[in-house]
Amino acid sequence: MAFFIHFKDPNSEEMIRYLSSIPKCPGTCFFMDINRSTDMKYLGGLTDWGRKLNNTFNFLSLLNDFPEYIVKGIGDEIMLFIPDDVLKTKSAINSYYMLLEEIYATLYNIRHYPVEDTFLACKVAIHYCTEVYNITYFEGANDYYGSDIDLTARLMTKCLENRIVISEKFLNKVRNDLKSHGLAENTGCLKNISEPFLENFKGVPMSTKYRIIDVE
Amino acid sequence: MELIEKNTEKCLIIGINGRLDTINYSILEKRLMELLDQNTNRILINCSQMDYVSSSGLRILLMALKRITMAKGKFALCSLQENIREIFEISGFTTIFEIYPNEEDALRVF
Repeated sequence: MAFFIHFKDPNSEEMIRYLSSIPKCPGTCFFMDINRSTDMKYLGGLTDWGRKLNNTFNFLSLLNDFPEYIVKGIGDEIMLFIPDDVLKTKSAINSYYMLLEEIYATLYNIRHYPVEDTFLACKVAIHYCTEVYNITYFEGANDYYGSDIDLTARLMTKCLENRIVISEKFLNKVRNDLKSHGLAENTGCLKNISEPFLENFKGVPMSTKYRIIDVE
Repeated sequence: MELIEKNTEKCLIIGINGRLDTINYSILEKRLMELLDQNTNRILINCSQMDYVSSSGLRILLMALKRITMAKGKFALCSLQENIREIFEISGFTTIFEIYPNEEDALRVF
């Protein structure tokens, strides 16, 4: 349940005390975008793009495994945030490596699905967040705010169709999982990982290291 | 997960026992790729003992289907448990795979 922030007095000391008491909520943030969905709406009607969006959202297995952690959908972009506390309790997908491998497999399956015009290609950005709070300014809503959420959105600018962009911080979590599973560093989709890139994203005071995984 | 193989006159049957998940899918991947490299391209996957499949597992089945189709072989699945069938349905895999209710029915079409 998100901490609800709503104080009428802009100078409320109670608000400051309340904000100071809110704990951080570390976890994994995903931004997933469906490619070319805007121009498709100009080309066809709801029966066409609505169908493909339905199929694609159904296909994104993480959305089915973590339905209560879909924070928001804006147009055809989805934000998913999986708190560490929740990830650990899951029986099927319960590590950062599994999250990455599942997303990769999903994008692969969409790309190689043999019947055309069934699904839409996706792009995904993933970041491991420590500077994040489970708060909302709107009663009854669930949301996550923090500089690491903003950074995940910035990583999205490096995404293309059939591409996953991950921060180095998330990769380190994945590598720790591989060690604990007794798997090699280049297991699964990590065979295809790029060398690190450095970028000065708008509004972020330090350079960000990230990697690219293009779906074969 | 454990793979149990059974050779028949018509095809090789591979039974998947347990979970086909993100950690162990490479066992099936390795075995299927070995078989395909040896031109074994008539394969029936018996899923009666498979109680979970992740997207990574589906990826390996899709890879195998593509390769076997290109080699003009035959690849089919049988005996899906109800929860697995649901996953196949939602991901459109029931449309692209030949799926039979049991091994006997599947062997008739090989």
